[in-house]
Amino acid sequence: MNAGSPAAQFPISPSSRRRAFLQDMGLGFGSVALASMLDREASGAESGRAQNGDRTSFAPKAKNVIWLFMIGGASHMESFDPKPALTRYAGRTIDETPFGEVLKSPFLDNERVVAFDPNNGFVRNTCYPLQVGYHRRGDSGLEISDWWPHVGDCADDLCLVRSMWTEDSNHGAQLQFHTGRHRADGFFPTIGSWVNYGLGSLNDNLPEFMVLGTPLADCCGGREAHRANYLGPQYDGVPLKVDPQNSMPYLSPEQGVFVEEQRQQLDLLRQLNQFTSNKNPDDTAILARIRAYELAFHMQMTVPHVVDLNNETQETQDRYGLNQKQTKTFGRQMLTARRLVENGVRFVQVYHGSSGGAGRWDAHKGLKKGHSTVCGEVDQPIGALLKDLKERGLLDQTIVVWASEFGRTPGSQHSDGRDHHPYGFTVWMAGGGVKGGIAHGATDELGFHAVENRHYVSDIHATLLHQLGLEPHRLAIPGHKRLEREVGTPIQDVIA
Amino acid sequence: MNTHEAIHRNIRARCHSSQLRGSTFVRPRAFRQSLLILVLCLLTSPAVRSADTSDGVDYQRDIQPLLAQKCGACHGALKQQAGLRLDAGVLIRQGSDNGAVMVPGRAADSTVIQKVTAKHADERMPPEGEGTALKAHEIALLKSWINAGAAAPADELIPADPREHWSYLVPQRPPVPALDDTNWSQPVDAFIKREHQRLGLTAVEPADPHTLLRRVYLDLIGLPPTQQQLQAFINANDMSSDTWQQVVDDLLESPHYGERWGRHWMDVWRYSDWDGYKQQLRGSQRHIWRWRDWIVQSLNADKGYDRMIIEMLAADEVAPNAPELLPATGFLARNFHKSNRNIWLDATVEHTAKAFLGMTLNCARCHDHKFDPIAQTAYYQFRAIFEPHNVRTDQVPGQPDVAKDGLPRAYDANLAAKTFLYLQGNDKRPDEDHPLTPAVPAVLGGHFNVQPVELPIESYFPSLVAFVEQEQIDAAQKALAKVTKQSSIRAESAEQKTTSDTQLQELKRSVAELRLKSLVARFAADRSKVVGNDAETSRLARDAASAERQLNVAQADLVVAQKQASVGKAESQEEADEKKKQAAMAAVRKELADAITKQKTTRDASTKTDDKYSPTGKEYPHTSSGRRLALARWIANKANPLTARVLVNHIWLRHFGKPLVDNVFDFGLRSAKPRHVELLDWLAVELMENDWSMKHLHRLIVTSRTWRMASTATEAGASDNRTIDRDNDFLWRMNFRRMDAEIIRDNVLAVSGQLDTTMGGADIDYNKGEETRRRSIYLRHAYEKQMTMLVLFDAASPNECYRRSESIIPQQALALLNSTLSLSQSRLLAPELWQTASTDQSPQESFIRSAFLQILSRPPANNELAACQQFLTRQSATLADTSELNTFVGGKAPRVNPATDSHQRARENLVQVLMNHNDFVTVR
Repeated sequence: MNAGSPAAQFPISPSSRRRAFLQDMGLGFGSVALASMLDREASGAESGRAQNGDRTSFAPKAKNVIWLFMIGGASHMESFDPKPALTRYAGRTIDETPFGEVLKSPFLDNERVVAFDPNNGFVRNTCYPLQVGYHRRGDSGLEISDWWPHVGDCADDLCLVRSMWTEDSNHGAQLQFHTGRHRADGFFPTIGSWVNYGLGSLNDNLPEFMVLGTPLADCCGGREAHRANYLGPQYDGVPLKVDPQNSMPYLSPEQGVFVEEQRQQLDLLRQLNQFTSNKNPDDTAILARIRAYELAFHMQMTVPHVVDLNNETQETQDRYGLNQKQTKTFGRQMLTARRLVENGVRFVQVYHGSSGGAGRWDAHKGLKKGHSTVCGEVDQPIGALLKDLKERGLLDQTIVVWASEFGRTPGSQHSDGRDHHPYGFTVWMAGGGVKGGIAHGATDELGFHAVENRHYVSDIHATLLHQLGLEPHRLAIPGHKRLEREVGTPIQDVIA
Repeated sequence: MNTHEAIHRNIRARCHSSQLRGSTFVRPRAFRQSLLILVLCLLTSPAVRSADTSDGVDYQRDIQPLLAQKCGACHGALKQQAGLRLDAGVLIRQGSDNGAVMVPGRAADSTVIQKVTAKHADERMPPEGEGTALKAHEIALLKSWINAGAAAPADELIPADPREHWSYLVPQRPPVPALDDTNWSQPVDAFIKREHQRLGLTAVEPADPHTLLRRVYLDLIGLPPTQQQLQAFINANDMSSDTWQQVVDDLLESPHYGERWGRHWMDVWRYSDWDGYKQQLRGSQRHIWRWRDWIVQSLNADKGYDRMIIEMLAADEVAPNAPELLPATGFLARNFHKSNRNIWLDATVEHTAKAFLGMTLNCARCHDHKFDPIAQTAYYQFRAIFEPHNVRTDQVPGQPDVAKDGLPRAYDANLAAKTFLYLQGNDKRPDEDHPLTPAVPAVLGGHFNVQPVELPIESYFPSLVAFVEQEQIDAAQKALAKVTKQSSIRAESAEQKTTSDTQLQELKRSVAELRLKSLVARFAADRSKVVGNDAETSRLARDAASAERQLNVAQADLVVAQKQASVGKAESQEEADEKKKQAAMAAVRKELADAITKQKTTRDASTKTDDKYSPTGKEYPHTSSGRRLALARWIANKANPLTARVLVNHIWLRHFGKPLVDNVFDFGLRSAKPRHVELLDWLAVELMENDWSMKHLHRLIVTSRTWRMASTATEAGASDNRTIDRDNDFLWRMNFRRMDAEIIRDNVLAVSGQLDTTMGGADIDYNKGEETRRRSIYLRHAYEKQMTMLVLFDAASPNECYRRSESIIPQQALALLNSTLSLSQSRLLAPELWQTASTDQSPQESFIRSAFLQILSRPPANNELAACQQFLTRQSATLADTSELNTFVGGKAPRVNPATDSHQRARENLVQVLMNHNDFVTVR
């Protein structure tokens, strides 16, 4: 096997009897799937892409995306966008600061409300001081809050975009961040599905687009945030649990079925389907179905191994925080994300902060307690992921995105919280040919409006697609008009 | 290369690319351009005069597409703002109502240039919201073209009036082509065959009887033939049209027909069970399954499609007293959206237009439609039809609690509701100076005649429906009888009773008695209010008020007595902890004091003599606007050019796997005239002239020679066919299709003989999809509430699904391989089949044959038989000793255990393989 091939990276414990067995199984199924697999291994992954529906328009700089989404609305001013003015003017109304004009900005008109919520989604007037300190980090000296020490260690790889804005002042903005369309407009293909649609397969064992963590609640878009809508279900994100016993629906048969038993069933099935194919030359669906069954069989064998983190060294497990209660869950997802990327999965979407409703990053009150907790759950695992990818030489080809549906108000709500804030907030990217150690764009002194190099959420999509070699207009589907705003524009300034 | 050649090359190149776009990539705007370019391609080359200028600006390449994109929507065939058209050179020269817009040779003096370069947004073209301003290089092109003399081809085609679009003209029955081939004389066949002849296609032979019988069963009832039905059909060996007709008629009479086609229409009409977070209702309605049952029953009864439309849009106006028809308005109730009335009404407008008219009215919400002759005003006038309506849940017999069961339905709640156009679709900017009247898009013609409907009492005062009153009075009588009986038992009881006990009992009886009396009086008063004279009504209202006051006093007395008893009980209670006892006593004393206060107010009030009483239920407007009925009659009308065509297209799609008009919900200008437009029109007229009977259409289609063709082409002619029509657009063979999700699940249950054919009733929890044996149509189907297996097989999105997709994904394979459903059904079926086969001379072969017939409805071919025999031998050998075999990680405990005997287990495996066979999920 070629050392660079996905199959060679496939982590199975050498002691496992299954390994040899798997290879036997693989060699036992002669036809189409194996042929394409061997071909791919012989010529490297790139040629495999070409065979498998690659729709790239130019040479890609990155191959994979890990998309981290914080559900509920992370505070930008307590994470990556320091606003000392808030502390300076704490307790005063915005009008009483020198920056009162933010309340007259035409940008306020960008807000679109679906359901008026009498409790949330307002401009809050009384400046609320920063709840956490900041330090300059790395050679670049990027200012990052003290709730993010591990991510801060990677400052020189981070590209902060501090000038994001969106439309929805309620949590429908979660869906909006994935489709580029307002929740009220309906459901549309998501960024992961566009990547899946645009890029070919890198492997024969796993789907291209996989989803970790509990998805959005149905209030805010639900599973539609990782679906492909009109692109077709083959481009949907496939949810995965980090549980070898129960990682996907129907992944394992009921107990008592033997692997050899099913393999022989599948061999017969392939044989019978091949007969049918021979008799029905016009029916190409049969061949696709034969391939789907082979991939299914390989998924059953591969997925439990990918999510079995016992194959990782203790050092790695510790680094991701698997040994601590607070970081364990997200740490397992981050480590799995790396393993999925290693195994050729194109797009890994990870949700953090599901609460069955708006999400745990929502901080209308008790921001300090809430945010220090959720930051504590994700900071170390994300830092570990960035460092691990870098050490393995994978960060160059993998873009990691950290995002949340909106930021939080400069003014206070319920005395110790902040309300939803769609007018200015921060996301960051790292790796995949994106410049490191830079902050692009800016909000005003209060962190209210994005004022410099403003970017609507789909500009992040466009940047990712650009790095992956995809031209979004060329992916368009007849009969489905896309708005320019929905497509976005690559942020050229951040591309290395 | 001279200039002439260069232009021709250019045009050819773009013809090529536009054809590509037509199939793979089309943003609507580009598509429109490409149509124009195609038109140009049809012009013979020498006729195209050079329009190139010395600056290298070419009208066709640079100017025409630019103007089409930037100006076409308002200055084109569709609309001529200021009388100006900019979609052909000759028309540009004609100018607007205000004179010339262009001075050839003098761009600076041309109005058109001044307009596109104006500094102020309110002067500049295109206007804000209609398009972005021209970029500098685009302005430069336009200027150069004008300065060079504004040349355009003399024979440029002027785009036609969109009102003449094929689908906007009422369909006329075309003559059926007269062909000499008697096998193809049925009208459907004659139209198809004529195209075959024109193109040189050779139709393939009819499918073999096994394939055909399975196809017709799955098509019409969604279930496979049993082995007996299959055998009888094969044995009869009679493919005459009479026999076939009989098979078809029998299936159309089967109640399963309604379930099969009901699911199709549930896709198109956006059926959704209630949707919500925990118990909170957010979308659709509880108990909306009554609409699903109405669909199934209406189809089985072959109710005319016109009538179905009328009932879905306006059963409350056309049949307000028919509880069996009101569920039809689930079509409207389904759009309920808790948090936003605009989203609710937008969905109503969008999907009423898409489902019945194949019209994308929704594209005119924010601006005039870019392609079809629909102004933005028309969108809001259509909305005005629905503005007064709302949703409520009426009581059903036997269940007073509408949370547990009820009839969700539409009604007009607010007849005064106004509709305003939202500027640029922004609901923050209603155009309040111009309230809109209800109307339908004028381009479709017809009469939209709104007549308000006077409603019967039971409709506007639903508590006065006989059974509601009867049930409440029965319940009150029952309660009284019960308490009276208790009193008499106690009175007769030998046990000594305390006075307070007896008093309490008497108070209870008195309350029950007065409750009945009050109920009777309130019903009488309510009824009189709507039917009686004023004097009578006033008297009855006073009686009801008086009875209610008496009841209130008795109830207050009872509460006081009960609290007194509690105090007594608390005082005598043994309680070691004195503090606790004091607290408990304080609590009950407080309750007693409250009760006494209440008693006093109630008694004080009892001296009143007014006529204020609690009505027995809610009273709704006595009149319905009649708007929806007017709409329904305008849609369900032979004069409507779209209704029948859209329906025929949906039906055709579901019989052939491909529609006649590609976009099933858009018959507008983006839908070019379909290949088989005459067939479509013939069927549309045929439908309307046969009382809009869907069964009539099904019968016509499935008895056609066309529908009975094999999907497999092995004949010599096939390779020619493939060269001429690779995609089978002209139906020289049948299309194969993948079964719909529900049908796959239903068939797993059907072939194993486990299907529970009970029809109708409340929706079943979607998580129980692997346990229940009911048909899939009865499983809950709502946003985020769908059975996983069905979703994997492309079940309809409850939000919108005019046409299903047929994906092939590995999770489908996993579901059919590993689900409890597939494993247990194969383990149940194998022993059944073996029981019969084992007595046969060659039992193994007999088993395989039987399994093929049972599961795939056909016998195995020799190579299949051999492969299966080999498998059984090998598999039973493998399973004979399982000690060395590997198991999978995870998995649930089996519902049905595999056989312990290795041969039997191998047979179970074989059965399961056949349930995973490509042809199990394929309608061939």
